[in-house]
Amino acid sequence: MSSSASTSKAKSEDKPVSADENKQDARPHLGVLEEDDEFEEFAAADWDDSQTDLAHLGGAAPGAAKSGGDKLWEDNWDDDDVEDEFSVQLRNELTKTGKGGDAMEH
Amino acid sequence: MPINFSTYLTQLNDALVAENGSNLAYLLRPTSPHGKDLVKEFRNPTLASLDYYKGSIQSPWDDIAIRYVLTCSHVAKRRCEDAFKEHSVLVARFLTYFPENRGWTLPALFSILRDLRDLAFDADNFAKGYGQKSDCMEEAARAIAKAFGSCCQDRVSPPEQSRKWGVYYVVGLVLKCYFKIRRISLSKNILRALEANKDIPDLSLYPRSHQVTFRYYLGMLNFLNEDYARAEEELTLAFYHCHVEAQANQERVLTYLLPLRLLKGQLPSDELLSRFPIIRELFEPFISAIRKGDVATFDKALEHWEKKLLELNLWLTLEKAREICLRGLFRKVYVVSSFSSRIPISLFHSGLRIAGIEVDQEETECLLANMIYKGFMRGYISHEKQMVVLANTNAFPKLAERAQPFEYA
Repeated sequence: MSSSASTSKAKSEDKPVSADENKQDARPHLGVLEEDDEFEEFAAADWDDSQTDLAHLGGAAPGAAKSGGDKLWEDNWDDDDVEDEFSVQLRNELTKTGKGGDAMEH
Repeated sequence: MPINFSTYLTQLNDALVAENGSNLAYLLRPTSPHGKDLVKEFRNPTLASLDYYKGSIQSPWDDIAIRYVLTCSHVAKRRCEDAFKEHSVLVARFLTYFPENRGWTLPALFSILRDLRDLAFDADNFAKGYGQKSDCMEEAARAIAKAFGSCCQDRVSPPEQSRKWGVYYVVGLVLKCYFKIRRISLSKNILRALEANKDIPDLSLYPRSHQVTFRYYLGMLNFLNEDYARAEEELTLAFYHCHVEAQANQERVLTYLLPLRLLKGQLPSDELLSRFPIIRELFEPFISAIRKGDVATFDKALEHWEKKLLELNLWLTLEKAREICLRGLFRKVYVVSSFSSRIPISLFHSGLRIAGIEVDQEETECLLANMIYKGFMRGYISHEKQMVVLANTNAFPKLAERAQPFEYA
């Protein structure tokens, strides 16, 4: 596993993870999402589109993203104008070292 | 008004004559009110003490009625395993009657099989509490698989009254049992049998509850076999056809659908996440890291949720989604270098370092080569010049546009 190494987790509910740890001893976070959860019996046998998530699609294919008419998913988060700390630092480095563009290093 | 056993027998007979499947289901349910009445009437019934009633109605219903009383009595006294055993006999007797009759019997079949599974669940749990081994769920699975065969093999009933309309519900139950006892490989036999029966009506013609349950398990089986494309397809249909008030089931589907969507390059919208707080709690850190191309935060989330993800069989999937995050990081390098088509590897290396990912330049080159190979970036690497030469257009193709989004080998 790749990891950012040294960051030790501070939050108190975190328990050390070991491979052989039995699933009974730690059920910290999600009260509901468990591996043993079963798919439940439905209260009704049948229902129509208006009672499903097909209803908001307006005919779009289920699972297309926003661009395809499904507001539950998005497929474009690329940003061409990033001004976060990372970009500022990298830009500084770029100016400092003169790297980038066609500047050859060797 | 409490009913006694003779009345019960009459009602059972009436339901059979009227071919009233839901009434039959009601009469055979251990939790129905008359169950308690019969327990009171007999106190400590045994097979021998009820033998008197043999022959009082058509076979096998006399025996079924007797087994019903015994089951109810065991349930009332919390003898889980005995209850399961008696109910198993009831089911076996029912399955001798079932193939001779048409689909009107299906509500009763569904109900007794569901009870069989529930009683097996309780019996195994109870035994486990005492540190004992118990195979009731396996036994239940066998009985339900047998019922599946009887549903498939209806060659006489007219189409609308066919027992085939029970196929998918029963398959859903069998798969649920197999998942419970972790004998998932057994599912293959059932799925093969389903495929072999070409005259089973199309899944879309079945009630939605049958469709959604079946697609959930089919999606899960494909997910576990790492056939992500097929898994995503089935889970998508399960999600969108699920009743919106069946929150837990939608959550269960999303738990697996969402990571698959990440690999495909689709993030859940806020609207979706706000409906499912539990899903949000688990996946939000990954999603926001992907949005920002923040690989270090992604890695922290992987570490933080490792145990849960392993438990849910999701660790590998999320680990693969890390590449989506890495793509975002490299794209930010591209933006900072003003979309230059020639970027030194060392700049990507600096980017990784600033982002908190400690790797050397060689490894950076390797990561870049991998990105190009997998179609996240378009271009090539000049190893000699330690330079990445990117395509002039569409250097970072939209994730959703990649031809085979699940090819991450």
